[in-house]
Amino acid sequence: MGQLFESVVMAVKAIFQNKTRAFLTMLGIIIGILSVSLMGTAISGIDQVFEKSIESMGQDVLYVEKFPWFMMNDDWWEYRNRPNIEEEYAQQILDRSSTIAFASPSSSRRADVKYGTQAVEAVEINGTTWQEAFITSVKLESGRFFSELEDRYGTRVAVIGYDIKKNLFPDEDPLGNYIMINGNKFRVIGVIAEQGKFLGLMSMDNIVTVPLKAMKSVFGRLRRISISVRPKEGYTVDQAKEELTFIMRGLRKLKPREADNFAINQQEAFRQQFSNIRFAISAVGLGITALSLIVGGIGIMNIMFVSVRERTKEIGIRKAVGAKKSIILFQFLSEAIIISLIGGIIGILITVALVGVVQKFFVAQLSFSLVLISLSVAVLTGIISGIVPANQAARLNPIDAIRYE
Amino acid sequence: MALLELKKVTKVYQIGTVAVHALRGIDLTVEKNEYLSVMGPSGSGKSTLMNVIGCLDTPTSGTYILDGKTVHNDEKKAAENSTNGMLSDDDLAYVRNQKIGFVFQTFNLLPRITALHNVELPLIYAGFHKKERIEMAKEALRKVNLIDRMHHQPNELSGGQRQRVAIARALVNNPSIILADEPTGNLDSKTSQEIMQLLDELQAAGNTIVLVTHETDIANHAHRVVHFLDGLIASDEQTLKGKG
Ligand SMILES: Nc1ncnc2c1ncn2[C@@H]1O[C@H](COP(=O)(O)OP(=O)(O)O)[C@@H](O)[C@H]1O
Ligand SMILES: [Mg+2]
Repeated sequence: MGQLFESVVMAVKAIFQNKTRAFLTMLGIIIGILSVSLMGTAISGIDQVFEKSIESMGQDVLYVEKFPWFMMNDDWWEYRNRPNIEEEYAQQILDRSSTIAFASPSSSRRADVKYGTQAVEAVEINGTTWQEAFITSVKLESGRFFSELEDRYGTRVAVIGYDIKKNLFPDEDPLGNYIMINGNKFRVIGVIAEQGKFLGLMSMDNIVTVPLKAMKSVFGRLRRISISVRPKEGYTVDQAKEELTFIMRGLRKLKPREADNFAINQQEAFRQQFSNIRFAISAVGLGITALSLIVGGIGIMNIMFVSVRERTKEIGIRKAVGAKKSIILFQFLSEAIIISLIGGIIGILITVALVGVVQKFFVAQLSFSLVLISLSVAVLTGIISGIVPANQAARLNPIDAIRYE
Repeated sequence: MALLELKKVTKVYQIGTVAVHALRGIDLTVEKNEYLSVMGPSGSGKSTLMNVIGCLDTPTSGTYILDGKTVHNDEKKAAENSTNGMLSDDDLAYVRNQKIGFVFQTFNLLPRITALHNVELPLIYAGFHKKERIEMAKEALRKVNLIDRMHHQPNELSGGQRQRVAIARALVNNPSIILADEPTGNLDSKTSQEIMQLLDELQAAGNTIVLVTHETDIANHAHRVVHFLDGLIASDEQTLKGKG
């Protein structure tokens, strides 16, 4: 309606008549909206990174290991004294289990990898079995994974990561060529598709996977074996985990009252840890947001009280010529909302600029829904802080207001 | 039927424990197209009366009927033990907007907006569209002979010009009655005469005017003069103009 539109126009004019004051008032809102949108962006960014990273771990894969993935420092000695995980467990688990489809021991260490005169240092050499290909969801870019036969005979074949291909075979097909691992020749039979960086930090492509037996023949004794396990179709991870625990306790000959002396890790642990981090970021972000919005809201309320007082006579005149309560309320409420909304928009613009910079280093994206949420929060702050002063203005008695000097 | 009828209207201002009786029981009837002056010493209740008539303030007791509409009615209020006798705030705003044109001694224009926009103001609250508003506001400014100053802000206008803007604002919505509380109080005598001439013209064109003044020659522009004393009407008579 025309009357409402006029009120908004008047509200905007009133704000522009006092630009500096309005801007100072906006600061709290700007910071509040900045922090809410930055927090949202950060969370959705790490969510994306996390999901991509954790994919490589396999959704429903269990890892039988000596150490749990996340532990308290105090417990370290206790874990250290546990017996090691043995390669043979994998077969024993498969023999005894009815819920587990695959179980594959793996062990990794760092070594230099060479091709001709080119070399890559400290590559993660991962020894595992043919079953690994069916356990984790790693995709190949070209070639194949090693076979059961190659596995059994310890054939020296290698599936290389994307970084290795890039560095050793910049313009050559690696398949069929021989790379040197610790001075031993391995034939390249596959290339793993690019995986990216784990949690955006460590490259997951600087890796060479070989049969476990071949690894043993090159490096001797295996260190720190981890057995990855995938449940059969139709069984849940939890069911498999329960059975796995039972089998492991049997293998370790544990008495009922004795605690497990092994760890069964799963993606879930990462999720748990991650959600703690996520929660911490949200808590801090929300804290800052709430605080600055409260400060900003009080600022707006204060400025609106001043505005109502300064314009008491104006309100009286408007009422004398027929302005209803509701329209006066609307006029002052829109002033508060517009101040808050402009603050919100400035906050969003700063976020957009910051996100543009951060994007160069890290996954970050300001989503449209986050912008909407932020602006709604700004509007809501405007309403909450403007309603009392606006109501005060609306309720002024016309003759008293008009006489006010 | 009378345009305006007050019966036993009182107004008491309570200041702490002191009660100021500004109106002590006013009976007054104004007919359509009447030209009435209200005179009386300072503090006798003239402005209070105007504010009550103009619906800027409500009486403490009594009955006020404007244009057939009961603005305030004590008996009804008492009988029904409710506020039914009185108009709501929004109804009063509507009456001020549609039926009243108020002209103040101190002009009471909004600063920082143009004369045209000031005159538009009642039309905004009446819900007219911009195009109509501008046409009507220009028409009103033409009537007060100020069309050439429509884009000036109040601080760029003389006192007489400001009061003419205020009169344009008062008549732009075709009110039932124009109320002018000492409209020449802040003006020199020459400008006062111009303003009075304008009011005379408006009355001749069919408007009803109630005018407060304490200058006899101003009061004599009207056809009827009411004298106030201490919150009561002391006399009510026709002027020479009224008789002639
Ligand atoms: N808002 C108010 N509060 C208290 N007393 C008032 C108020 N307005 C007017 N009065 C008192 O009411 C009486 C009448 O005032 P007013 O109607 O302004 O007189 P006039 O216009 O004739 O000079 C005076 O005594 C004045 O002091
Ligand atoms: Mg007075």
